[in-house]
Amino acid sequence: MEGNILDAARFVGAGLAMIGAAGGGVGIGLSVQGALTGMARNPDTYGNLLTNMILGIAFSEAIAIYCMVIAFLMLFKVV
Amino acid sequence: METQKRRPWRRWVVLVLMIVGFVLGGIFVPVQPEITVAAEKLIEEPLFTLPVIGPFYLVNTLPTLLFTILVVLVIAYFTGRSLSKSAQTDLVPRGIGNLMEAFFELLYGMTEGATGSKWAPVIFPWFATIMFYVLFANLLKLIPGFESIGILHQVAAGHPAQGSLLMPGETENGFVLVPFLRGVSVDLNFTFAIAIISVFMTQVIGVQAQGAGYFSKFFNVRTMFKTPFFGAMDFLVGLLETISEFSKIISFAFRLFGNMFAGIVLVAIVAGLLGKISILPSMIMMFELFVGVIQAFVFGMLTMVFMAQATQGHGHEEEHAEAH
Repeated sequence: MEGNILDAARFVGAGLAMIGAAGGGVGIGLSVQGALTGMARNPDTYGNLLTNMILGIAFSEAIAIYCMVIAFLMLFKVV
Repeated sequence: METQKRRPWRRWVVLVLMIVGFVLGGIFVPVQPEITVAAEKLIEEPLFTLPVIGPFYLVNTLPTLLFTILVVLVIAYFTGRSLSKSAQTDLVPRGIGNLMEAFFELLYGMTEGATGSKWAPVIFPWFATIMFYVLFANLLKLIPGFESIGILHQVAAGHPAQGSLLMPGETENGFVLVPFLRGVSVDLNFTFAIAIISVFMTQVIGVQAQGAGYFSKFFNVRTMFKTPFFGAMDFLVGLLETISEFSKIISFAFRLFGNMFAGIVLVAIVAGLLGKISILPSMIMMFELFVGVIQAFVFGMLTMVFMAQATQGHGHEEEHAEAH
């Protein structure tokens, strides 16, 4: 067992930062579920729902991306 | 009838290639790839130095960028030749012209559904160009040889390379592989450049559609004097819109970069997990094919949707003004 405790803290911190991605996952799941239910009930709205679904996915994915940016910042000693 | 039975020999080629890869991976043990966020420099000295921006290095994503542009240009040339040939003869597109026409007709229908027929001709070129370019940037990463063929550098904290025929003797230092070609979408410069182009052109199209009234989305002072409290609220919401334009750039760039970088890390880790069994990374590569196509679609689609939102005013006043 050797090494720098700061390095260990960086890895732990990056792992903890990625917990926030769970929220993004839940958000994406919920929006896809809503869109699929809508498509199953009314298949004619497929194109319109797909566009809005991808837009919603992008917004909830952005939160997970911020977590990933923080994890990168810690992991690769940018800051 | 039995003499006409089809002999599907091509699938055996894939199996033979997999077995050859398995055996070769056992003989030439690959050096564990080094995971770096920034693109590696192929030459240590800068190519040239610009006065303000700074030194300009030959990184290993630059050859890939040229390669990507070449592939897109070749496809464009042959599509144009095929389409002009069919325009001269009987107006029936054949071959690659037909394929591209079907592909872009699908995309144009999608654009028209989201933006309406008035702004579709303005928005469609940005959507289709970004999507096509990012698609090829993502898919060229999967060609064998990318990120695996390169120069070995001796570094103190490198990975061991015993057992490989290239390095018969044991050395005390490890090695780091600097590949010649690295997928261009695994470079933040590339994704940031396309994100900035996309968001900037969104503003330009917004100004084209609504004139100077487009900026009232960001500095909303119209309702400030009529209803003081909610007017101030609207002004703050406008400031938030300004911030969200900048966060669009960040989320565009990091969405593509993060997905593609995760692909590299996944392949590297899975290749190192089971040692000489080198079939597993090819499974991950199949997943990467899926991810690359989806990310290109999402990048283009989001550009298109944001541009469509910019053409529509958020209040109803403009629509009534246009109707009169």
